[in-house]
Amino acid sequence: MKITLMLMRLSWKNIWRNKFRSILILSAIAIGLFAGTFTVAFIAGWGRATIETEICNQLSHTQIHTPDFSYNYDINSYFLEDRIAPVVDSVTHLNSVSYRLKLYGVLASASNTVGTFVHAIDPEEEKATTTIYQYIPDSLGTFLEKDKLPIVISQRTAKKLNARLKTKVVLSLQDVNGDMQSVAFRVGGIFKTNNSMFDESTIFVRKSDILPYTGLPEGVAHEAAILASNVSTGKEITKALGKALPDMDVQGWNELQPALRLIHAWTDLINVIILSIFLVALSFGIVNTMLMAVLERTKELGVLACIGMNKRNIFKMVMFETLCLTVVGSGIGILLASWVIGYTGEHGIDLGFMLNANYERFGFSSVVYPILETRAFLEIIALVVITGIISAIYPARKALKINSWEATKC
Amino acid sequence: MPIIETINLYKTYKDQTSEVHAVDNVNISIAEGEFTAIVGPSGSGKTTLLNLIGGLDTPTSGNLFIDGQDISRLKPKEMVDFRLHHIGFVFQSFNLIPVLSAKENVAFVMELQGRKKGERDTRAQELLEAVGLGDRANSRPSKLSGGQQQRVAVARALASKPKFILADEPTANLDSKSAENLLDMMEKLNQKENITFVFSTHDPRIMSKARRIITLEDGKIINDIVK
Repeated sequence: MKITLMLMRLSWKNIWRNKFRSILILSAIAIGLFAGTFTVAFIAGWGRATIETEICNQLSHTQIHTPDFSYNYDINSYFLEDRIAPVVDSVTHLNSVSYRLKLYGVLASASNTVGTFVHAIDPEEEKATTTIYQYIPDSLGTFLEKDKLPIVISQRTAKKLNARLKTKVVLSLQDVNGDMQSVAFRVGGIFKTNNSMFDESTIFVRKSDILPYTGLPEGVAHEAAILASNVSTGKEITKALGKALPDMDVQGWNELQPALRLIHAWTDLINVIILSIFLVALSFGIVNTMLMAVLERTKELGVLACIGMNKRNIFKMVMFETLCLTVVGSGIGILLASWVIGYTGEHGIDLGFMLNANYERFGFSSVVYPILETRAFLEIIALVVITGIISAIYPARKALKINSWEATKC
Repeated sequence: MPIIETINLYKTYKDQTSEVHAVDNVNISIAEGEFTAIVGPSGSGKTTLLNLIGGLDTPTSGNLFIDGQDISRLKPKEMVDFRLHHIGFVFQSFNLIPVLSAKENVAFVMELQGRKKGERDTRAQELLEAVGLGDRANSRPSKLSGGQQQRVAVARALASKPKFILADEPTANLDSKSAENLLDMMEKLNQKENITFVFSTHDPRIMSKARRIITLEDGKIINDIVK
């Protein structure tokens, strides 16, 4: 143990023998680790933001439909709220639930007509479950709070219909018997999310307003959107409800939107690729630096062997030097990355200036909040240290092959 | 009992066509307290013999006894340990560890031996004083002259309390005055402390001070003179 401590002290002194080179490799490790970690955090933040935006805006963590509704969106494929509600309310980690009617319809103004998907909801339930109401600016109305027969449409739809607040629009839809019904609404709110496809296809009305025109009985819904306390409890709820309601179609957000699952998988894969590239580059840097350090000190290492330093201790000394460089460099890199990720994670990075409008069509926010979990931080540090150790083996083995006596004569 | 004894010692190098006997049937016996120089022209086998005596190489055949122990069959790991505890080295180019102070360089060997800090510090200081560098204990090698560095190297060689000190051309990189001073100091240590020195050298100053001169040629001892 005493010898190990002595070797560590000696290794630390050896590192500073060539200050310029050591600072250069320390900077390379620190900047590399910072860049790698920040990129991983950026991609993770982007992926999470995209998923959370979708979950919060409309998807929720879990949705329940009848199997038929999932298949054909038939108005008659509804379920009784009273049957589902007790089961849903009994699960743990439940935040809120919104029972919705979802209907195809055509929305017409005096100047144009658009096909649309009607979300007939209870405003209070919806506000507790999704954040869609937050996308209505104060100047553009409210989320179905006032007025008689209000309707909430997107800015895109409003533009197509040439509609403004208070504009009268007519919603036509089929009732349970297949007969066309038309209802006149007034625009009560105009929203805009980051997902223009969602915006173009979605309108909101009060369930109580539309129900009489559909022919549906009271207390029914096509969809129960369930918000859990977080993504992982959402998975638990999906699993528990799937067991409790075997005749219903219970789906998590990743099944409802396979594209989100793909994003989730891709962000993980991209992070692995980025980290691998960084670690390979780091490894080459360390091998190069340590090999130079060993070859420059051939004579000295020979002397150490002559005077009685055994191979194990020579090996340890070179390994410690590498570890010192790696640990100090990655420590600086991690501190820098923590600070930058913390700051940008709080304030966000707005990429709006470099992204075109199509980016938002698919629901991607142009503001990214980098995030990296503590576990991921620790994993990266562990990977860097392991890479450092593995990279040090070749130079350390090279040091062992030095011919002691010949080396002293160099 | 001699400190160093070789019996029919051979070191043979082979290539595809021929064999070279770098050390050819060498029989020497060096007693405790001797001040011996091994001399000979380049290629005579001095270095190879010194490698063998220092436990840095193994003989092809024959026996090598250090203080009665046959080291010719020791395993490499045992040999390193043996060197650490029984042999002191002084090199032509001083070869101090540049990042350590003079005192730390001297104490380094004792640290490898596992001695306690107090003992290490006291002995390192005593040895530096013995070689006339007590006041330069905290100086790095780069701040010392060549002669001073070689004195530190002698102190380092003595630190492990070795059976003998093996010095390979210790004056080769020193000016005349420094070389004289170093040799005087070594001679004094030899006479006062009865420390055994074995030199490999071309330097006439060492030869003049040595009390025994072994001359090698083509790996064989051609002369062994005790003054």
